Amino acid sequence: MKNEEMIRNIQDGDKESFRIFYEAYADYAIRTASAITRNREMAKDAVQETFIRVYRQIGSYNPKLPFDPWFYRILTNECLRFLKKESSLSKFEHPDLENDPSLAEESFDHLSDLYNTIQSLDDMHRIPLILKYVKGFTENEIADILGLNVNTVKSRLFKGRKRLKEQLVPMIKEDDFQ
Amino acid sequence: MSQFDKRVDKELKKRTELETIGLKDEIWSSLEKELFSDEQANKGEMKTMKKKNRVIPIIITTAAALAIAFSLQTDTGMAFIKGIKDMFVPEKEINQSIEGQDEATKVNLNEGTNSEYIIYVDETRYKMINGKETDVITTIDPLPEKYPEVTMEIKQVANEKPEDLVGKIEAELKKDFPELRTVETVTEPVEGYWLHGTTGSKWDSKVVTAYIISNGKEGSFVITENYFLEAAEGHGARFHHMLESFEIIE
Repeated sequence: MKNEEMIRNIQDGDKESFRIFYEAYADYAIRTASAITRNREMAKDAVQETFIRVYRQIGSYNPKLPFDPWFYRILTNECLRFLKKESSLSKFEHPDLENDPSLAEESFDHLSDLYNTIQSLDDMHRIPLILKYVKGFTENEIADILGLNVNTVKSRLFKGRKRLKEQLVPMIKEDDFQ
Repeated sequence: MSQFDKRVDKELKKRTELETIGLKDEIWSSLEKELFSDEQANKGEMKTMKKKNRVIPIIITTAAALAIAFSLQTDTGMAFIKGIKDMFVPEKEINQSIEGQDEATKVNLNEGTNSEYIIYVDETRYKMINGKETDVITTIDPLPEKYPEVTMEIKQVANEKPEDLVGKIEAELKKDFPELRTVETVTEPVEGYWLHGTTGSKWDSKVVTAYIISNGKEGSFVITENYFLEAAEGHGARFHHMLESFEIIE
């Protein structure tokens, strides 16, 4: 079923089409939400709310524009909303890895967890990186999703990757990446 | 794709896959209950409606305060409003993220014309000017001429619902922002329609962000933020945080 047809059917309240749509979009939506929220339960709630919003508000989608950025904008907003709501708990569960002294040590063991290093970046650099690598969005699409200028996105991706590389220098040397 | 990109890509996919096992079915099961069971769907609708009108539930929560207020004041209307305002602290400190840095900011309680809403304003940087029809939050000192306008206007349109008004506002904004984005609905910082446009990608290109939300009755509030591209993460972010404190007083 083509996207346009699926969206039309969902607008008509067709459960089967919504199920097909869910099957097609849920995996990457869950992965993205899990990476953004860093919390399984919050990711679950954010994805659930996203699909509910999509089902109820699909009429506000402009079919002339690409669907994925529209969908992921809702998802990202929901993740940020849940993160904000749970910010104190989130901080408690996820200490500030960026300032973790262990990250300053040039120890392969400490720096080998690339995922944690990504997650230690601040949101403005972390979220564009997640959108780029988890779902493979282009800079223009990320700009559209986050409501930012494309040059801002380019700069954030550049800085985010630079920070990652800086933190991962021992590992990069080890693996001869450069 | 460089080796570095490949490694990041692989690691993110691997980790997110591990962390999400089992969630897909769990979420679908909840969605089925929420969307396709009549009873639950009705409940969900009620929940949404409640959230949509971001109006202070004053009747019950301030009953005691009002009883005192009414007994002390002859102007009952004013007492009513004062009672509601008393629910909010006059000054508080909030933590906001500005350009990626957390910043503690003191904000002060301000009210709209005729006390129709309240908003906390960062009065170290901005002032609120109450007008007859429109209230404006702008920088304390005017910006030098080379900078485009930096304002957040709040206006109530008492007789038009957001869904009736959104098309008109969109057409109006398109005159100055021909590449205005498609209208979307948002839940943050307020719940309603969101319109956004820029005039280009230079540092001083104008940016407009407008929200059209229900006033809890038959009308709307239109909140229009004006700034410029380079100020998006400064003034833009500060306006966003201030707007998060916006509450309608019914």
